[in-house]
Amino acid sequence: MDQDVQDRALPIANVGRIMKQILPPSAKISKEGKQLMQECVTEFISFVTGEASDKCHKENRKTVNGDDICWALSSLGFDNYAEAIGRYLHIYRQGEREKINHTKKYENPQNQTQINRAPPPPLLLSRVENPPPTNQSG
Amino acid sequence: MVMAEEEESGVSIQLEFPKGRVKKIMALDKDVKRVSSEALFLVSRSTELFLQFLAEKSAQVAIEKKRKTVNLEHIREAVKRHQPTRDFLLDELPPPSQPTKPDRPTQPAGRPKLDPPPRGTRRIDLFFRKPELDDPAQAQPPENPAQAQPPENPDQDQAQSPVPVDES
Repeated sequence: MDQDVQDRALPIANVGRIMKQILPPSAKISKEGKQLMQECVTEFISFVTGEASDKCHKENRKTVNGDDICWALSSLGFDNYAEAIGRYLHIYRQGEREKINHTKKYENPQNQTQINRAPPPPLLLSRVENPPPTNQSG
Repeated sequence: MVMAEEEESGVSIQLEFPKGRVKKIMALDKDVKRVSSEALFLVSRSTELFLQFLAEKSAQVAIEKKRKTVNLEHIREAVKRHQPTRDFLLDELPPPSQPTKPDRPTQPAGRPKLDPPPRGTRRIDLFFRKPELDDPAQAQPPENPAQAQPPENPDQDQAQSPVPVDES
């Protein structure tokens, strides 16, 4: 049961590390405080996911995408997050494009872009080359 | 700083939370069928922002209360102060064990109880009864020999001491 509970929550080590980055150097966090914060952020994920999923369901879509998340954040009152997330989405998409270009130009490496992540999976390439047809565009 | 670095690099946007774990938590909702990589990324990032925000507010509460350690009370107070967060978290938070918790620990003053001894009451009664019995006994000897000799004063003896009358 303990493992199941832990698997369904974010790692408490990550939670503690991020908290320490925000808090003053002299501040400390109690063990119960970390555990409560862990539950709070885990609940946040479920909360945002549920809101985004509802939107998809109403629009007869099966895949939750980035725009749904932005909309959910704004809908739930986290407008500041929605703005920041919008910027991250832009950066993320640029990153994905660069990855794809890098993969395509692998034989002719003219511009060596430093990629810290693993190369994108073939599925992603197939997605870009063959965009998925819209089931219900109307 | 972090924002500038991430924007400059453009590609290396490292997430603090593991993607697999976030995805698993998102999948707990049965209505969620599929999640795109974009959505997964955005949820992870927004969760980081939320954690940073809540940690910052909790630290402020702790500082207001002059504490160096952030505990449950400070996090709960930070949640209450932010309306959107309160809406979805206040019900989840455990109720405080001590609603009014003073900074100084209240020490119960143990006062010893003084029970009135029943013996004392009896002693008082006994002491009150003894003088009644002793006074006439002590008063009779000096009066009797002095008054008994003169036979002309029998009425005075009866008026002063009714007990001898009963005896005779």
